[in-house]
Amino acid sequence: MLVTGSSRGIGRASALYLAKNGYDLVLHCNKNTKMANDLKDEIVSLGRKARVLQFDISNREECKNVLSEDIEKNGLYYGVVLNAGIAKDNVFPVMEDREWDSVLNTNLGGFYNVLKPLVMEMISQRMKGRIITMSSVSGLMGNRGQVNYSASKAGIIGATKALAQELAKRGITVNCIAPGCIETDMTSELPVDEVKKMIPMKRFGKPQEVASLVNYLMSEDAAYITGQVISVNGGLYQ
Amino acid sequence: MTIENEVKELIIKALELEDIEPSDIEDEAPLFIEGLGLDSIDALELGMALKKKYNLKMGSDKEENKKYFYSVKTLADYIRSNVGE
Repeated sequence: MLVTGSSRGIGRASALYLAKNGYDLVLHCNKNTKMANDLKDEIVSLGRKARVLQFDISNREECKNVLSEDIEKNGLYYGVVLNAGIAKDNVFPVMEDREWDSVLNTNLGGFYNVLKPLVMEMISQRMKGRIITMSSVSGLMGNRGQVNYSASKAGIIGATKALAQELAKRGITVNCIAPGCIETDMTSELPVDEVKKMIPMKRFGKPQEVASLVNYLMSEDAAYITGQVISVNGGLYQ
Repeated sequence: MTIENEVKELIIKALELEDIEPSDIEDEAPLFIEGLGLDSIDALELGMALKKKYNLKMGSDKEENKKYFYSVKTLADYIRSNVGE
């Protein structure tokens, strides 16, 4: 199965968790090929197969070329975790065009760019597969300084729910995970002590705590769950 | 075999409709939503199968296509008028 943005953070934890549960992995990365290759080695040492695909999810042509070639050569994926995403925080009045564009084109554009080459194949090959998207608490509640990020993550929720409707009859589930504050590079610059006070559980989540949900949604047991947004946020937003 | 029956077999094969026999499909019953309960993604798949079998190309006018895809009979008529018996 394919995990985008798997060189670090939630993507890396998810890929490892899935590998430990017996899945073979296709690891996507944008720039961190070294980290993705290290992860590949780690997964191979667990006795699973893994390969690395490097492309920019905001580049439609590149996604189409790399993914179409890969599935033609190696077979279609059973599961896709659309985890890759970026944040470029700034308060809206001074947000720069490129901050808006890059976040939307990567986070929401990535949904289209990565899934478009795969979904019709899943349909015609009768692959009763799994698609998992990554939203955020910011997409549910809106977060100051993140008008771009919140918009992209809310957009992912709408796209997930709509696609779930289209694919339900085909046994393909499409679900969305909305993590809260998770210990990753993306949250490393937050004022940790202040943020913790706002979280009912008074702590950040671990990437593995999101990965375990990814693993569950991928399983046969989760076949009847589709079109859902499931939060993993220590009670931060209900 | 009539074109109608060919179309029925094609629908069952292309969409992998288990539990359905050609005789279960009525020539004039709607294929989509009612009747067989197909959706627009099934239509895409069916369109691809028709193209493969009859070299039948669908135009870009969605409303026109909807008319051709209404029932087995409308599809068979469309095939006859574009491909010949």
